[in-house]
Amino acid sequence: MIDRLKKRPYIFFILPGFLLYSLFVVYPIFSAFFTSLTEWSGIGPKSFVGFDNYIELFKNKQFFTQLTNALKHNLIIFALNTGVVLPVQIYMAYTIYNGIRGYRFFQSMIFAPQFISSTVIVFMGTLVLDMNIGIFNRILEWIGLTGWVRPWLGLPQYGIYIVWLLAAWAGVGVGMMFLVGAMKMIPEENMEAAIIDGAGYWRRLFSIILPQIRTTIFNLLILTYIFSMTSFDFSFLLGGVAGGINYSLDVMSLFFYRVAFGSDGEIGGTLDRNAMGMGTTIACVMFCFILIMALLQLYFSYRKSEVE
Amino acid sequence: MYRIKRKVTADSLILRIYSMFAAFILIYMTYNSFRPKADLLSNTLGIPRRLTLETYINLFTGSKFPYFILGSIIILVFSLALIVMLSSMVAYGIGRFNFRLRKGLLLYFLMGLMFPVQLGIVPIFLIIRSWGLLDTHTGVILVYAAGISMPVLLLTVFFQNLSRDIYESAKIDGASEWRIFQSIMFPMASPVIFSICIIMSVQIWNKFFMPLIFLQSEVKKTIPLGIMKYTQNLMYTVDIAMASSVIATVPILFAFFLFSRKILEGVAAGGVKG
Repeated sequence: MIDRLKKRPYIFFILPGFLLYSLFVVYPIFSAFFTSLTEWSGIGPKSFVGFDNYIELFKNKQFFTQLTNALKHNLIIFALNTGVVLPVQIYMAYTIYNGIRGYRFFQSMIFAPQFISSTVIVFMGTLVLDMNIGIFNRILEWIGLTGWVRPWLGLPQYGIYIVWLLAAWAGVGVGMMFLVGAMKMIPEENMEAAIIDGAGYWRRLFSIILPQIRTTIFNLLILTYIFSMTSFDFSFLLGGVAGGINYSLDVMSLFFYRVAFGSDGEIGGTLDRNAMGMGTTIACVMFCFILIMALLQLYFSYRKSEVE
Repeated sequence: MYRIKRKVTADSLILRIYSMFAAFILIYMTYNSFRPKADLLSNTLGIPRRLTLETYINLFTGSKFPYFILGSIIILVFSLALIVMLSSMVAYGIGRFNFRLRKGLLLYFLMGLMFPVQLGIVPIFLIIRSWGLLDTHTGVILVYAAGISMPVLLLTVFFQNLSRDIYESAKIDGASEWRIFQSIMFPMASPVIFSICIIMSVQIWNKFFMPLIFLQSEVKKTIPLGIMKYTQNLMYTVDIAMASSVIATVPILFAFFLFSRKILEGVAAGGVKG
């Protein structure tokens, strides 16, 4: 036994990490799927119910409205991240790539919120947007837009956009740096040739840079998608476990958290005896939405390597 | 890199306003943390009546905040140490030795990158509960320490590309496998390990979802969880919310600005590979 191990020293190196990783990362994934096929409160006996939880999730009106509402919010966040944050990231990355005066300072400042915990970011948001102590309303009054003064954090119709805004402010720097890294990989000759041909500042961005970094942009979109689909912190911090007034801040992760770990009885259905079963069911549905995108990415990178 | 000076007034102005905005909020928060509570609530934007260190003294003597700091530090230090140890060993095993399953094994370790934390959290919760580790730092540390996918990937690439000569000559000198790893290979990987430490520290330090589920009692909480309690009752604790947010934010940002060039280079390079 010892001899066989001596011949395979790698087993010594791999085993500890392998065990911990298998137990806390790989096993839970499969276990979650099996739990989703059972009716279980987390304590006491588990009973196998097949796909009943999935059927209930889609048939029970209470659950289904919450699911679609939460999913809608995730998709709004993704759409805004794609439509607004991505162009902003490209713009910022391009100015930094061009070595704008003070670009080191700018890139650090833009990236910095990444290092601030979401709790503090929400608090900073409160300092700006709160009805009583917020600066934003004071500024509006000061420039004469008194009609626009309102409790920004308290109005359901703005809720999900504020969640998005805070998350975007916190996360914009990472994608920006990815893009800067990709832009720097473009051969200098291409840029020089474009300049000699008389291509202007924006022309160079659209005809040379963007086509060359499209793989990075595509990967960034996938990451953004996963990030948008799993967003949790800001909704929870602003709206609590209930997801704000009328679920105005609700997202999939929060819906999941409410069902699996929240207090019983506020949602109805069979939750009091099925928190874990239904919770994992929601988590699996959530994962399916992510999987679709991950497979798409695999497919495209596979096709790309075929072409090349 | 080819750079041309263009008239950058507009771009520069936009970036300047954006950066100034972030700086302004930070400074505003820091400045307000030195003001007494009554002044903050009744006279938010007015001229300060007086500045004081009271809130900070309260925070450290009259609240649970020192526990939060301690909890965050314990969790960070131990999980980071475990992550570095386990992932470098795994990566060394996969990157250095040739065996049949190594490609499959690497893929197995990368699998973790694909799954959202919400998917596995219920079974993880059940394991931790059955071990009696709910509401302990140990439980959280174990779960964090298992998240080695990204470090394993980075370090495996590093060990694979390392020349075999050093390994062979150490082998001839009669050093044991463990000794070669511990005193030669591991130190050589220190630049990669440094960047792993930075990326993982930020993630672990700011994690919110896991501690929220695992840590319930007040004295076990981490800084982000603790601050949440203060920021949710602003009428009562606005002063403490300010001061604790400053303590949670300013030192880390300071460290970031010191190392920003290196950190941002790492992030930019990571994106190209990914």
